[in-house]
Amino acid sequence: MNSEPRHLHPAAMLIDAIKTIRRSLSAFVIPGVAFLMSRGFDQGTIVLVLLGALVVAVLAAFWGFLSWRATTYEVAGGAFRLQQGVLQKNERTIPLDHVQSVDTVQGIIQRLFGVVEVRIETAGGGASEPDASLQALERPSAEALRREIEGSRRKRAEEEAAGPTIVRDLRTRDLLVAGTTSGQIGVALSLIAVASQLFDNVFSQSLAQRLVETLGPRSVTIALLYVLVLSLFAWLLAIGGTVLVYTGFTLSRDGDFLYIRRGLLERRETTIPLARIQAVRIVEGLLRQPFGLASLRVESAGYGEHTGVSTTLFPLLPRKEAQALLLDAVPEFAVTPTLNALPRRALRRYVFRSTVPVLFLLAAADFVSLLAFGFVAWGLAALLLLLPAALYGWLRYRDAGWALEDDRLVVRSRLLTRTTAIAPLRRLQSRVTVRSPFQRRVRLATFQARVASGVGGVELQITDLGSDAADTLIYDLRPGARRGEW
Amino acid sequence: MKSQPAERLDPRAKILWRVTGALRALPLLAGGAFVSWVLLRVAEFPLLLAVLPFLAAFMLSVSLASVVPGLRWRRWRYEIRDDEVDLQRGILWVTRTLVPLARIQHVDTQSGPLQRRFNLATVVFYTAAGANRIPELSAPVAAGARDRIAELTREQDEL
Repeated sequence: MNSEPRHLHPAAMLIDAIKTIRRSLSAFVIPGVAFLMSRGFDQGTIVLVLLGALVVAVLAAFWGFLSWRATTYEVAGGAFRLQQGVLQKNERTIPLDHVQSVDTVQGIIQRLFGVVEVRIETAGGGASEPDASLQALERPSAEALRREIEGSRRKRAEEEAAGPTIVRDLRTRDLLVAGTTSGQIGVALSLIAVASQLFDNVFSQSLAQRLVETLGPRSVTIALLYVLVLSLFAWLLAIGGTVLVYTGFTLSRDGDFLYIRRGLLERRETTIPLARIQAVRIVEGLLRQPFGLASLRVESAGYGEHTGVSTTLFPLLPRKEAQALLLDAVPEFAVTPTLNALPRRALRRYVFRSTVPVLFLLAAADFVSLLAFGFVAWGLAALLLLLPAALYGWLRYRDAGWALEDDRLVVRSRLLTRTTAIAPLRRLQSRVTVRSPFQRRVRLATFQARVASGVGGVELQITDLGSDAADTLIYDLRPGARRGEW
Repeated sequence: MKSQPAERLDPRAKILWRVTGALRALPLLAGGAFVSWVLLRVAEFPLLLAVLPFLAAFMLSVSLASVVPGLRWRRWRYEIRDDEVDLQRGILWVTRTLVPLARIQHVDTQSGPLQRRFNLATVVFYTAAGANRIPELSAPVAAGARDRIAELTREQDEL
């Protein structure tokens, strides 16, 4: 083992300096703008501001150098040791057993220098044990570090010789399809809405006023056109976002570890130990169902800072090929049982649940139209919504299902996207049944199984399954009731 | 539903819940009164109509402080078995939770100022997917439950 304390790549100085500047920027922006406003844009002021910026940059660069000089890391005595801090020295020791994964991220600046950021994540998930991050390492030294850390955990040497094998990578065509069907238009739209709000505030009202005045007479056409252009723009934005995140997506496996590499500008490399995967989800988005496409996600424990963090295992593939991929990547989760459907009597409850909001809407609309127009006809228009709502309820009923196969629980449900979740029984943290008075009357129950994900957990839920089936699930899945390895 | 869990919460829980229910009802009452006042004075509704929100809030408050604690206590049951913890609760929506002991990471007992007055405590046990709690046990029982869960958890780990 290499026990010599090592420095980072000198690019770390620049990265650190940029970080410092970015941090100080937010502190300087408001006073800076106020200063500019009060003095006006004469030459003296601009020179003064530039001078100030220069001073900050030089200081940041100097600080970057100091912190680079102060930062060293080593792997020694079964632990990873990181020394940091210019004024306040800080030494962090992470026992190698506690390292959950060694990830690399390559931001734009790092790419310029051909270096990577190495992140060492611990099983504590950041709460009990701090994670460590090395700003800039050359690829070979990053690889060497990863091997040193992971090498201690690997038992068989042959695996190391074999190296990771690629399970599947994302083709450019699939990437574009993934973008167009990502269904993130809503997100993009809200982003645009916020941006346009800002735009409105920043730029003068008069421009908008003039636009409205000239276009006023044809305002309906214009409004429609506006909406159309906006959605098109949002769609493009969604595609762009997907391309940014998922370009070059490669899933590979090396023994007990999965490696995910992705990103256009910022290259990310994530490691997921197979032993930490709690559940797999096959997600069929609304726009993707007609084409038989799906994406795969995994829930892993003690990973990431937030509750319910799930990682994309693969962004887009034909639903039919999901099984083959799971078999290659996470064989424990590769099951395709025939699902038990819900009892017929559950259909009424599903339809009821989806139509109740519409009925409320109907009542409210009638009331309003009675007040406003003196008759209820307008409110009756809401009746048109009733049929789609009922249909939606039926769809949810039809797609809901569950199965138990070889100590694995499979649950399928639909919101708009249809999700099939697979979890081994030994990963279930708790099992819950809930029975409302209505459900009790028709002998139905809702079953939930909680699985760890991130720092918190997520639920696998089956709504309105038969009461007996729910009892089977909650009682007979107990540790003692099944053979072995609990 | 199969047989219920064996143990009940401490009977003093009902008194405690009445107190907390009454406390919780105060903002509810204030809200109802305010709405009624607005209807009466600002919107100038007839008195009989305007008083309805306050009346609703009042009924809810009374039930929170009188009927609800009893119903809740009657439903709440728990049992700590050798391999899992069994919980049942909920007045209308009856929830049954089973947590395998092998999944429990650690156990706490907590008691707030009001609980201490009644010598009650809550046992909270954590899994990797969140916390579950058994509220309002008498303090020694809670300590016993905590120690038992901790001990059984350790046994399960050794398997």
